[in-house]
Amino acid sequence: MSDLLQPELLRKLEQIQLLTARRARSSLRGERRSRVRGLSVEFADHRGYVVGDDLRHLDWNLLGRLDRLFLKLYEEDRELPIRIFLDASESMNFGTPSKFTLARQIAAAVGYIGLCGFDRVSVEVFPAATDPLGAAQRRALRLVRGKRSSLGFFQNLGAVVPGGRADLNTALRRGALEDHQTGVAVVLSDFLDASGFEPGLTALVARGFEVVALQILSPEERDPTQFGDLRLVDSETGQEVDVTFGRYRLKAYQEGLERHVARIREFCSARGIRFLSVRSDADLGTLLLKDLRAGAVWS
Amino acid sequence: MSLLSPWALWFALSLPVVVGFYLLRRRRISRVVPSTVLWQRFLAENEANAPFQRLRRHALLILQLAILALVVIALARPFRTGNRLQGSLQVLILDASASMQAVDESPNRFEAARRQALAMVDALGPASEGQEMIALVAGAQAEVRQSATTDKALLRRAIESARVTDTPTRLEEALRVAATLVKDRPGAEVHLFSDGAVVDLAGIDTLDLPLVFHGVGRRNRNLGLVSAEMKSNPEDPTQRALFVRVANPTPEAAEVPLTVRFDDEVVASRQVRVGPTNGVAEVFVVDQVRDGVFTINLDQADDLAVDNTVSVVSRLPRPVRILLVTRGNRFLERALRSAAPRVEVTVAASVRAEGVEADIVVLDDVVPGNWPRANVLAIHAVRPEWSPGRVGSLEAPVIVDWKSTHPLLRFVGFDAVQVAQSLEMPTPSWAVSLVESSRSSLVWAGEVDGQRTIWIGFDLLQSTWPLRVGFPIFIANAIEWLDPDRIRAAAETGRTAAPVQWLWKGPGSVPTALVTVPDGGIESLVPSEGTREFVFPDTTRQGVYRVEQGTNRWSFAVNLLDARETDLTPKESLDRGRRAPVAATRIQPASLEGWRWFALAGFGILLTEWWWFHRRTA
Repeated sequence: MSDLLQPELLRKLEQIQLLTARRARSSLRGERRSRVRGLSVEFADHRGYVVGDDLRHLDWNLLGRLDRLFLKLYEEDRELPIRIFLDASESMNFGTPSKFTLARQIAAAVGYIGLCGFDRVSVEVFPAATDPLGAAQRRALRLVRGKRSSLGFFQNLGAVVPGGRADLNTALRRGALEDHQTGVAVVLSDFLDASGFEPGLTALVARGFEVVALQILSPEERDPTQFGDLRLVDSETGQEVDVTFGRYRLKAYQEGLERHVARIREFCSARGIRFLSVRSDADLGTLLLKDLRAGAVWS
Repeated sequence: MSLLSPWALWFALSLPVVVGFYLLRRRRISRVVPSTVLWQRFLAENEANAPFQRLRRHALLILQLAILALVVIALARPFRTGNRLQGSLQVLILDASASMQAVDESPNRFEAARRQALAMVDALGPASEGQEMIALVAGAQAEVRQSATTDKALLRRAIESARVTDTPTRLEEALRVAATLVKDRPGAEVHLFSDGAVVDLAGIDTLDLPLVFHGVGRRNRNLGLVSAEMKSNPEDPTQRALFVRVANPTPEAAEVPLTVRFDDEVVASRQVRVGPTNGVAEVFVVDQVRDGVFTINLDQADDLAVDNTVSVVSRLPRPVRILLVTRGNRFLERALRSAAPRVEVTVAASVRAEGVEADIVVLDDVVPGNWPRANVLAIHAVRPEWSPGRVGSLEAPVIVDWKSTHPLLRFVGFDAVQVAQSLEMPTPSWAVSLVESSRSSLVWAGEVDGQRTIWIGFDLLQSTWPLRVGFPIFIANAIEWLDPDRIRAAAETGRTAAPVQWLWKGPGSVPTALVTVPDGGIESLVPSEGTREFVFPDTTRQGVYRVEQGTNRWSFAVNLLDARETDLTPKESLDRGRRAPVAATRIQPASLEGWRWFALAGFGILLTEWWWFHRRTA
């Protein structure tokens, strides 16, 4: 069905439901509980009868006991907007396997879970594609509903080619402003943006999104293997920096990386954002079915 | 600090070249990374690598410049003016005599000399140059403290372990040792560290000694006792006359108190005035009722303390007991009776005189069956052991020579003395001939196994000698020389550095002698197999030595009593007789190169840089 996810994994994903602490605020019906009163089997409240109400919803028991007319109200199930921010910058194209490969697979898994749950899935790929075809495919990912759309969803997602320079903050802020109905926001990035990540995540949280941040780093980023006098070229900006790097500094590098990750984790923890840092060579099944479940992303 | 090869400083032009290399861009491995965010803190000091950018702090560049600068300085051969010895062999002689205890230098002359000697050791070249040094100490004996070596630590240890003594200087012996050491060693030098209070070195003027004299001493402020002798009063045996001579080598007159103590009890005291560069003799007549030690003190705070005290061991005198074994000789008997103030002469026909214990036995033409153990004056009598089977006869021997310097022949002459007949025998090896005929000795004297013997080969009555005035004088000299009390008294008061010897005359086995030295230490003398003679050589400290041997307890005293040691006048030169005097000198200044240290520092920095580089890129 898809090159991104194995069929067996897809079957398992169908049993999963995204966890969310908030009621769905979408205007469209779905399978998520919402604060809107409507038609469902879940009793919500009573209210007095007014002329014109559907008599089928009268509470006959109360009428018998109190001799007054009350109407039974039910919760309306609405869809949960799931917004996936997929970092497709050039920096994500590194690693063996590349960071983008894992990010895309996670996006596909999250999207598939959402589609199976009758949720609205929207994938925001940044930076924007420069070619028209790529742009069209990315537009198609902006709004996907229903399990039947999953095939097209996977095809469009698989067609995304990473490249260009990303601005994480700008992408997240724009995403937060564009959506009228907030839901779950899943951010898939390496969080190695020179301009930081704080404004973007803050914007999502402030807009009311329930944010899940997944940082993906390649093994080479965690354990560099190139030593000596190096000229490092930034894949996105093209900036060159000269570095003298020896094995004795490996520990210092790793400590710096851990501090960077810890800073993100601390920031997210303070704002109720669920954060997870994973390696790009991590096993996808274990990650989806175990690590993200343990991280209370889904059940 | 100056430079021997200043032209080498042109090499300093290479310093900008090194800087230029650093200004050029270094070849680096280009590597594309996802982001440089994580690498910001590892940006090396590389931003200065761009051509002609401002040089920032760069540790490796600084290290390399430092290495290059040190190498350039080393090539320029920097040197400083210091002390440096030139010869291939240096012999250091450290004077350890009593005068070196003078405190006009701080803390005393010996320590000042030691400092100079140690400075010379420091000035010794490195071992690689093969420059050797020998350390000698000239005290009572010349002692080689350290043989030829290039090891400064050994030399320093040898010099630092040397101790000053209370003895006169025996420099001639040390210089003779040094002369043998520097023989056939071109460029060798002998350095003498002394105050110059030595006998003149005319005795070694035949030695071609490259001597350098390093004088110590600043002033001459000292009076000392240079002579002390004790005589008994012939009329009153309980009285003693102490003859003391005080020397004042300073150019100013001085008045000092002299105190005489007998076993720590003051028995006499007197103020003595001594003229400049002069001496004065004082006589103290004191009573003595028991054996003991007289101590004469010069109560004067001067630069040298060791010559301010003299100790004299004194025993109560007793008469000399003489056994004259003769068939009748009135000349001899009368001479013996008048030989000393108190003599007890017993005349007998044989040695076996009943109840006679003699100090001296005079054998007049009598050969006893058992030779007496006392000191003997043998006249025309030969002990068979002296010359078995070789005794002959000389008819009318002519006296051709006599040893007038011997104490026995003091004021004695043999002019116009004729001898009719004499025994002829060779002089024993332990004896010295006093009167010689053309063929053999007529009179000899010597000591063997603690027994003194004077032998006269002819019968006195067969010569004209008893009629000469010298005969009674000779007999008096002989009694004095043979008197065991006098012998013992001479042994009991001696000079420092002179060994003291005595004979165990007790019966049975010979016990070990314990000698308590003046500073309280105890030394034991174990008797040698088959001998009853003891020799105590270590008399380098002035004072009273107490001997405990079996049940016997006695004392002997040694004193400095040396006018040359008392004279502390700093010497500007040493007189070497026919050779030119040796002037006092100092260590010659020389240029000491220091390029090795700069090269070593450069090498050290190079190693540091190597370590650093590998630490960065390993």
